[in-house]
Amino acid sequence: MRLNKQHFLRFFCAIVCVLQIQFSFGQDKFVLNGNVKDQATGEAMIRAVIRIEELPSLGVLSNEYGFYAIALPKGKYTVIVSQLGYEKYKEQVQLDSHLNLTILLRSANTLKEVVVESGRKNDNLLKPQMGTETLNLNAISKVPVIFGEKDILKTLQLLPGVKSAGEGNSGFYVRGGAADQNLILLDEAPVYNASHLLGFFSTFNSDAIKDATLIKGNSPAQYGGRLSSVLDVKMKEGNNQDFNVNGGLGLISSRLSIEGPLQKDKSSFILSGRRTYADIFLRASDEFKDNVLYFYDLNMKANYKIDEKNKLYLSGYFGRDELGLGDAFGIDWGNKTGTIRWNRIVSSRLFLNTSLIYSDYNYNVKLKNGLTNFNINSNIKDINLKQDYTFYLNPKNTLRFGFNSILHTISPSTFSGTVINSNPKNGRNGLENALYISNYYKASDNLSVDYGMRLSAYSLMGGDAYNIYENDLLVNTIRLDKQSFGKTYMNPEPRMTANFRVTDQTSIKAGYARNIQHLHLLSNSTASSPSDQWIGNSYNIQPEIADQLSVGFVQGWKNNTYELSTELYYKNLQNQLDYKDGAEIFTLADVESALLFGVGRAYGLELLWKKKEGVLTGWVSYTLSKTERKITGINQGNWYNAKQDRTHDIAIVGIYTLNSRWSVSSVFVYNTGDAVTFPTGKYSIQGQTLYQYASRNGNRMPSNHRMDLSVTYDKKRKKRIQESWNFSLYNVYGRENAYQINFQDDPKDLSRTQIIQTALFRWVPSVTYQFKF
Amino acid sequence: MLKKYFSTLLIGIFLLGCKKEIQLPLDPNQSLLVIDGSITDEAGPYYIKLSKSTAITDASNFFAVTSALVIVKDNLGIIDTLKHEKGGAYKTNKIKGIYGNTYYLEVQVADKKYTASSTMPQKVALDSLRINPLAVNGETRYNVIPVYTDPIALGNSYRFIQKINDTLDQTFHVFNDNLNNGKVNQRPLRGGSDSLEVKLKDMIAVEMQCITRPTYLYYYTLYQQSGAGPGGGTTPSNPPTNIIGGALGIFSAHTVQRRQIQIK
Repeated sequence: MRLNKQHFLRFFCAIVCVLQIQFSFGQDKFVLNGNVKDQATGEAMIRAVIRIEELPSLGVLSNEYGFYAIALPKGKYTVIVSQLGYEKYKEQVQLDSHLNLTILLRSANTLKEVVVESGRKNDNLLKPQMGTETLNLNAISKVPVIFGEKDILKTLQLLPGVKSAGEGNSGFYVRGGAADQNLILLDEAPVYNASHLLGFFSTFNSDAIKDATLIKGNSPAQYGGRLSSVLDVKMKEGNNQDFNVNGGLGLISSRLSIEGPLQKDKSSFILSGRRTYADIFLRASDEFKDNVLYFYDLNMKANYKIDEKNKLYLSGYFGRDELGLGDAFGIDWGNKTGTIRWNRIVSSRLFLNTSLIYSDYNYNVKLKNGLTNFNINSNIKDINLKQDYTFYLNPKNTLRFGFNSILHTISPSTFSGTVINSNPKNGRNGLENALYISNYYKASDNLSVDYGMRLSAYSLMGGDAYNIYENDLLVNTIRLDKQSFGKTYMNPEPRMTANFRVTDQTSIKAGYARNIQHLHLLSNSTASSPSDQWIGNSYNIQPEIADQLSVGFVQGWKNNTYELSTELYYKNLQNQLDYKDGAEIFTLADVESALLFGVGRAYGLELLWKKKEGVLTGWVSYTLSKTERKITGINQGNWYNAKQDRTHDIAIVGIYTLNSRWSVSSVFVYNTGDAVTFPTGKYSIQGQTLYQYASRNGNRMPSNHRMDLSVTYDKKRKKRIQESWNFSLYNVYGRENAYQINFQDDPKDLSRTQIIQTALFRWVPSVTYQFKF
Repeated sequence: MLKKYFSTLLIGIFLLGCKKEIQLPLDPNQSLLVIDGSITDEAGPYYIKLSKSTAITDASNFFAVTSALVIVKDNLGIIDTLKHEKGGAYKTNKIKGIYGNTYYLEVQVADKKYTASSTMPQKVALDSLRINPLAVNGETRYNVIPVYTDPIALGNSYRFIQKINDTLDQTFHVFNDNLNNGKVNQRPLRGGSDSLEVKLKDMIAVEMQCITRPTYLYYYTLYQQSGAGPGGGTTPSNPPTNIIGGALGIFSAHTVQRRQIQIK
């Protein structure tokens, strides 16, 4: 461990030294800096590419808050800024002192809108990030989705390397990782359960979201904490020019949001709410009148510009699900997040963001039997302090560094009730710290490299007893007093991605990243459930480790109207967790006694072919992949398929714009069935038929395929009011995709075994009306 | 438990699930010896049943193993060599099922030997059955609560076999005292989403067994695997058994009590 620390420090010093040398070169330069914004709404533009026409080898990206800076020798320059869905910006500047230039981008003709961005035109080739996809909310609005509720998580599943956790489910798996190995951030706050109604909706209300970026394992050093991916969701800041009301009425849910300036040009707010109302229909029917089934969520954000150098952001999310059956059964769960951020331009080239973040996820289960009541509660709470510096050292190097400290408070499933012994389980606290530094180095016109190091540490905190098990036996118990620290795990996480532009339309990428995960989701079910439990590292549970190596190739045609990107990855996983058979995850005094540990591996090929412009836009994505686990105590200790292992995944998305009013879109998906365990034989015990199993997950569900259609009609704008209608049909040809397969005795002939398939959705039509004024 | 609710809620309301019978390519089966053995506190004789597992596609006429050597011993030194009666059922001659005694099973088929042992737990009295009505969506559903007082010492396990008008409820009902140690039981025998509905006038017969921890684990694993639906169902595997040697099944020493009640 000490060695690791030393390595890190040496690395840190080396970077600083290199930068010092370069720094001394840059003394007689002037800095051009400022913010990139949307002209109409004042929203900050993230990752816009800023280039200088006269110096083609230079280039910087705007950061998460739209800030950019570039140091140049005295002279006259043409600044070119490009961003997805926006017209190219060109401006002449005369630089003979430091210059602040606010860049206002105009939204491009929506007919030519690109749905999935990895950059625009050949600027894509400038960005060294690998396995990164950004979804722009405006652009995905025409992709058909179930229940007509546009949803970033479901659209993400149409990209290569991302698999859905089930039909209509917003849960996802990235490159063979488990569902808990995705870091889902909403304005920097981690969201522990990103689904509503058992996964049929995501917690992201598309009206309140600006964009979402998914990084499939090769994340820059500022991100950390999960093995497989980072999904960085940014809420809208609110229009600082004009008041707007936005809404949508659907069959299942309705949405309303209000945004506008608090002070024109300076500060703004957005308030957005959503609620489903299936329960209102249910209550009207006799058969289901006691069923409770709804969710709601609320997004809030405000920003305030204190002065030219300081800006404050406040954002919050609150969502809750309620499910129940009269007073016999009820479960409710929800996330709360809050973020306070302070952007400060420390100097012309140094940008600092400080964030204080709160996140809370909890669930409650209520059961009632006659006179007795019974409750299960669980909770995870984070308080998080973060500082991120962006230092535009010189036009070739952009340095990012910072730290992150999270205090986790995890209360495991605890029972209480009238006729049970309450089993007070102590909450556990853990302190997760991270320190990082990375550099975006534009070595030449053609080569850019992003390299860095993250050092993450997790310390067990006092207040609970930790049991240590060896070969199923309890060998020791460590009681940690409050205010004391137990074991600290410390892991360096090196990261590197490089991009080499071979020609204007061809580039090659390569990357390596190590990711560490200190929090783990315990789930013994084949589908996700709100009652799955989070647990931190302990003396038995070691941090999960993933090493991912990937190479990629991007080729464009016809001035990059068409683009094919290919990526190959190999991922090695350590310290993976699973339950023993028959583990009583709720009632065990110490759930750690029921855990098994092992390793995993995943590899695959991802292809994404896009057509970015024209009346027909869209993409075809294909993934060929394998993901396996090897856990002592499962499958005789041999490798077996992880449940999310699917050989082929295909998605075809097409959006055809007929004219300025009508557009038609369609999605087709095909995938190999999940890896499952079917019985090979049967036998009888005490008159009941039982099934015999051989290897774990050695079988396949039948393959899934489906086509969806959607038609959008934009009404002619009347004064201020803009209206649109969306009609969609999910599963056009009514394919019965297997959701569940059961083996049972044939009721007509008990000696015969029947295989029964349950399918969920056939033909789900939906209508959504949207308005904006 | 939770997953059962999820299945009911989801399939029942939100979605109109459509079911149909399908064919699947299945792996070939390796036929294994199946041991279904019980020693109870009721008067003997007791039976150890031996059979072989068959492929899913075969008819469930499980091939009886009739030429095995089956011996049951106890910790008092009684050795009982069982006699094959019929259909793979081997009958004890002299062994007595008594609380606290440990029973050892030895089965020899051809040159393969299988062993198991089980200690009969203390009997906990089944005082009564209580009807537990539950009104939901305008109709009343029923289930039955077995009323017993769990002993002070931690570690009791129970299995309940429920028959509704002489039809076996396929749900594996197993309870332990992790949560309600030393208390009067209030937990009902709640069926799974596929189990039989209990209606007014139905006759409910309940057999209560005080079982060992390995027997509990065996049936609890089966219970967990039974609902392979949304929100639940663990990945199935052969349940952990106390039989050593590679056979399927369970050897259980347990107590037996029976009661019945009519729903009214």
